[in-house]
Amino acid sequence: MGTVQGGAVQVGVRRADPSRVARYGILAIPMLFVALFFIVPLALMVVGSFWERAGFWVRPAFSVRAYAEFLTGVRLFVLRRSLAVAGVATLAGLVIAYPIAYFLARHVPERTSRSMLLLFTVPFVINYVIRNFAWTYLLGRTGPVNGMLMAAGLIHRPLDWLLFSDVAVLVGLITSYMPFMVYPLWLAVAAVDRRLVEASWLLGANPRVTFLKVTLPLSMPGIFAAVIFGFVGSFGESAVPIILGGVGYQMMGNTITSTLGVLNYPLAAAMSSVVLAAMLLFLAGWYLVFDVRSFLGKLVRW
Amino acid sequence: MEEETRRISRRSFLRCAAGAAVAGGLVSRRPWASVASAAAAARGTINFADVGVGDPGGDWSKFTGPSGWGVNLVAIGNAPAQILNVLIAGGGTRTYDIANVVGGMQKPLVENQVIVPIDPTRIPNWSKDTYIRDFLAPGKPGFDFIGYKGKIYGVPSILQGDSFAYLPDVTGPLDSYGALFDPKWRGYVALEDNYTTAGQKTALYMKTHKLATIGDPADMTPGEIKTVVDFLIEKKREGQFRVIWSSFEQAVDLLVRREVYVEDAWEPMVFAARKRGIKADYARPKEGYLLWAMAAYLIRNPARPPERERADYELLNFILGPWYGAKISLLRGYMTNPEAVSYAKAHPAEFTAAQANEVARTHANVKSKFQLGGTWQNRWPTHVDEYEAQWARFKAAPSK
Repeated sequence: MGTVQGGAVQVGVRRADPSRVARYGILAIPMLFVALFFIVPLALMVVGSFWERAGFWVRPAFSVRAYAEFLTGVRLFVLRRSLAVAGVATLAGLVIAYPIAYFLARHVPERTSRSMLLLFTVPFVINYVIRNFAWTYLLGRTGPVNGMLMAAGLIHRPLDWLLFSDVAVLVGLITSYMPFMVYPLWLAVAAVDRRLVEASWLLGANPRVTFLKVTLPLSMPGIFAAVIFGFVGSFGESAVPIILGGVGYQMMGNTITSTLGVLNYPLAAAMSSVVLAAMLLFLAGWYLVFDVRSFLGKLVRW
Repeated sequence: MEEETRRISRRSFLRCAAGAAVAGGLVSRRPWASVASAAAAARGTINFADVGVGDPGGDWSKFTGPSGWGVNLVAIGNAPAQILNVLIAGGGTRTYDIANVVGGMQKPLVENQVIVPIDPTRIPNWSKDTYIRDFLAPGKPGFDFIGYKGKIYGVPSILQGDSFAYLPDVTGPLDSYGALFDPKWRGYVALEDNYTTAGQKTALYMKTHKLATIGDPADMTPGEIKTVVDFLIEKKREGQFRVIWSSFEQAVDLLVRREVYVEDAWEPMVFAARKRGIKADYARPKEGYLLWAMAAYLIRNPARPPERERADYELLNFILGPWYGAKISLLRGYMTNPEAVSYAKAHPAEFTAAQANEVARTHANVKSKFQLGGTWQNRWPTHVDEYEAQWARFKAAPSK
């Protein structure tokens, strides 16, 4: 390749930039890891969803039978329920987590807020099965919640719907995933430039308007990240419905596992593929709508 | 008993039991027993895949000593898909010699060429086992737990019969599966999340009381299983069931906290509840029991040397032997083989009088269940897909 330098023509071969090579080399490691252990298995799963059952196994084909079975049977109801329950749990988690994150980011010294954030990891030190079993004790007919309500004279017989119900499942999901939602929210709120808030105040906006027109819009990337954390976790949850859900409360994770129990791999793959597609759409929306750097930038700086 | 839903069900209990047994071995009086078993393997080590109940407290010395072969017990899941995944996809046929799982799995295992027929003439204890003759011989319903198409594939390591548990101080004595559907206990009933247990017990009840035309509760047609599930859905809509449980601990906890009064359960759950101070009883239903057995299968491996195959047969014989039988009865509360009772009584150095009595009591209890009869659990019914689909319909149906 020829280049012009100081009026003279130099002919030579561009040498590879060693730092660039190193950068791509380092980048290739996680890329390869993701490709091998995530993308390839997921692609195989999608391919397998079109295969046909052959006795106890499957054979290559292009059949939409598994999708038809999924979309025309009771499992579609399970999908709708999973979406609804995960949606409600996420919304409730957001309503709880945002004020906590806001308070920690704005009204608590950084050192204290870090300690508080650390406390939110404590529930995850406890095994999730034990954590959920604890709810069965607390919310049961003979549990302390019913006991206190009866002692206070608020009820005369135990409330059945506290346990093995939608309420119990929501409690389980919210307490499982709400702490995850606090972190991105805290990052997003803390990243909002305080000078913008002060400018809003100087221009005459009251705190409510400032929050609605400045802080909330600027923390949207964090809100969406929190929604993803909460929704994806709740949607794929299988232990909470089993332990707290009562008479056959199923979410997608449970029904997929159930079909694997009878070796119906195409159906399990088809259901998993639909779930995967829904989650990818969700993530694509986040990527397209928000500038991820505005959220991650804070993370890097921190 | 257990099976296929991801739920923890019996397979998970068994798996947990395996873990506990292995862990127990590490902290038991003889923590070195397992290690010793492998170390003493002068001639080699037999790889023994087990779902949990086949571990005699980590002590294989009574086999290892005389045979010169060690035993490497590996815990595996008990669900059909898990077993097939381990033995086929996971290359298990090249790894394991024997798999001890809940029986009745012959169809998928034979058709996938995972197991081979067993020659009972190479197992001296086989002919001494009157339980096999009485309950599992060809032509008897129990044969389906160890045989397939006229051939024998499994060595019956334990036998048991399931019904349901109840709290007698609330309900009084109960002797029919009808209690599970009795409006008197509405909202205080729990079922197991398993169509081959809860579904089959319901079918047995409906057939006995002529609530439906069901040919064989153990192998229902798609129409019959639909009828059973329709019945369960009707009861579910009326609010009959409080919960369907999916793990041993969960089921015990429901009784202990009196969350339910009547529970489709396994007998060891009643023992566990009693240990926690709860007066719980296990029903002797007039409709009969859900009977089942565990089977030790010989894994198909064409490259297995004759010497190793002989050792495998020695281990199968040991499993049907009196010491192993007494030990497993004592540890797990299941019936094993008839000689276990007399062996425990005759060897006070190995079994105390109380332990020997416990073994005898267990055998008498379970034997009476088999004498009463009922229906043999079918882990892989002809229309298993329809069972699973109908059970999904039951679970998805709205409750009160």
